[in-house]
Amino acid sequence: MGLVKAFDDYQDSVNADIEQVRLARARRDVFKKALGAEDDVEEVFGSGSLARSTQLAPIHDVDLVVVFDADAHPTWGTAGDAAQEALSHLGGKVHVLLGATHGTVDQLVRLADPRNHAVKCFLDDPEDPDAFTVDAMPALRQPDNTLLIPEVTSRDWVSADPEYLINEVAKRQVKWPYFRPMVRVLKNWRLGVPVEGKIKSLVMEILALDCLPTAGSRPEALRAFFSAAAVRVNEPITDPADLCGEIQPDLDRVGLRDALNEASELATQACAAAANGATDDALQVWAQLFGTDFPAPAKKQTSPSVAAPALITSRPVKDAPQG
Amino acid sequence: MTADMILISQEAAQLIKTSGLWGHLSLRISEPDALAGVISVSEQQKVMRPAALEPRNHVLRCAGTGSGVWYRVGPELHGAALLVSVRSSGLTLEGFRGHVPSGFKTPGAMAYYALTYAPGVHDPPYNEGQIPELMAWHVSADGAWPISTQVEPQTLGLSQFAPSWPVAELSESTVMLVGGGSIGGAAAHALALYGVGNLLLVDPDRLGWHNLVRHVTSSRHVGRYKVDALADELAQIRSETRTEALRLDVVVDADRIRPLLRRTHVVLCAADGIAPRRVVSHLARRAGIDTVLACVLQDGAFGEILRLRPWADRGCLVCERETLATAGGMDIEPSLDAGYGTGTRHRPMTAVGGDLHLVGQLAAKVAVATVLERRGQADQRLPGEHTVWALRPQPGAAPPFDLSRSGELRWSPAHPPRPGCPTCQAP
Repeated sequence: MGLVKAFDDYQDSVNADIEQVRLARARRDVFKKALGAEDDVEEVFGSGSLARSTQLAPIHDVDLVVVFDADAHPTWGTAGDAAQEALSHLGGKVHVLLGATHGTVDQLVRLADPRNHAVKCFLDDPEDPDAFTVDAMPALRQPDNTLLIPEVTSRDWVSADPEYLINEVAKRQVKWPYFRPMVRVLKNWRLGVPVEGKIKSLVMEILALDCLPTAGSRPEALRAFFSAAAVRVNEPITDPADLCGEIQPDLDRVGLRDALNEASELATQACAAAANGATDDALQVWAQLFGTDFPAPAKKQTSPSVAAPALITSRPVKDAPQG
Repeated sequence: MTADMILISQEAAQLIKTSGLWGHLSLRISEPDALAGVISVSEQQKVMRPAALEPRNHVLRCAGTGSGVWYRVGPELHGAALLVSVRSSGLTLEGFRGHVPSGFKTPGAMAYYALTYAPGVHDPPYNEGQIPELMAWHVSADGAWPISTQVEPQTLGLSQFAPSWPVAELSESTVMLVGGGSIGGAAAHALALYGVGNLLLVDPDRLGWHNLVRHVTSSRHVGRYKVDALADELAQIRSETRTEALRLDVVVDADRIRPLLRRTHVVLCAADGIAPRRVVSHLARRAGIDTVLACVLQDGAFGEILRLRPWADRGCLVCERETLATAGGMDIEPSLDAGYGTGTRHRPMTAVGGDLHLVGQLAAKVAVATVLERRGQADQRLPGEHTVWALRPQPGAAPPFDLSRSGELRWSPAHPPRPGCPTCQAP
């Protein structure tokens, strides 16, 4: 098997099932249609990884932004009870429009639970740990086109710009058709990284934005990403729109750096093996990096008396001096 | 006048390639250098068109003059020329004339120089070999002898390294070089050779006669600020690197250094005083910039390069020094805090220029690797953050300086910040 086919196959294992994606989009569209028709709603758009097409399987949630007309809610956007009020208002709308028993547009939502920034809408049993949810976030559009979103814990409203990341990812994708797929690969890779705690998927997306090249082959791009990200991760990883601050202050930077460095070493070995014509060796190293879902090379017919070769054999340096 | 080599500018080459079957040449010829250069070209008998040789101060600028002829020929002549060149031989005049279809000038008592242009060398079967398009000849009544020819390439400069070297990435990079002494000067030249696009040269000192024995520059700069001398030299020989000469002392002018760090990707400090190194470490750490510190220690016995990263688990210069001191590897001498080789309390000038230049060049390599690693160049990762290079090692030094052979290089990892370090703790 060639490297291109192996990466294609691995990508298939990382990508969410297309039917799952379609279902998630269909559910999101029901919300958009129902809430978008409300008099005090200016626009509804998807945010999060589904909007950026960087989602991993399985898809458990969809993010939505519901932009309200500020004139219809003159107290919103100010400190105090308005944050809670906006979430309750949106929760009430979801209940009326999409409630499982008496929804006027559709009967989808079993529970609409206002949280810190958004209303978590359960489309499955809320007790089910894998329940599918739609996170609907109320917002006000600001003159600079960013959003003001409620924050219940601080009883205030904060600025955010989810469209910035959506647009940046789209731009990268235009430059290099593998950008979004590789972001999914990297988000999947992080799940097996031995760190204290977890690595937020948004951390990987921002690292990809900063460190993943938008040219070249996938192996070369991954090698460059791991090398650059092992340096970049030592500095705070902040909201790329420069509004929300550090994404994950408790990130185990050293643990992630060590993992990125190790991945960089392996990716470098794999690229060297491929450049040397040793495709099977390259496949083995990529499988070491990405796990058993990465296609292994076909087994060679070897004599039982012959020992298996080393993973990467050393190669002679050519005597071609340059003065 | 005779010449062993003829230089042909791109302009001259293009005139010949686009001007029909033959024409005249004007040459500058330097007999002591056995060198000639084409300075104008005509098509047949028409007016001569200038084809300047750059740079203006080239040795041929004031040389004597001569004339010659150029011919358009078939590729077989250039193939034959390669064969006779190997034997240090030439062609008979008749043999040479047989390849010239038009305008052949028969030499009389005086020989002349000829250029031949063979556009067919790119066609099969000639394209299999390394046959040049333009060749030079010395044509006399006794025959025609090939002469070495240098045609100015269409592409000059660092772009020739692309894509095998990240030329574009380095061209966009800015390195602040603190210290324009012997190590700093060598580092400046090396940084430019690597292709660093922007150099901020920081040093308050002037070049003295006593510096010349180790410095990369020459006596014509004595009395000038070191940064001005370096900037001028780099402009002459590495014009693709933009330099800013800043006559600043990082200790006294720290307020002016801070804003410069905002457009700096990495600081390379080759200052030899303890205070400037500490100030650079502090300022760069607070600015979140990687720093490379280069020096020689123990009267030039060791070269040392220390890379400081502004990361939570990496310490500053003082932290690294105190860690080394605690381990018994270093005797910290804060009193040795003045210009190397000046005053009365300082080390004598014991390190030799070549060793200092080695350190400067390795420091430049480390700085460039630091920039490129951030850009995802996996082949630029370093084996550690601190390296000690034996230059004139003596037995008995404590680790990591326990090297016994000149040229031995040892890399060590970085260490975490000390608790309460005023540089490393969050401001």
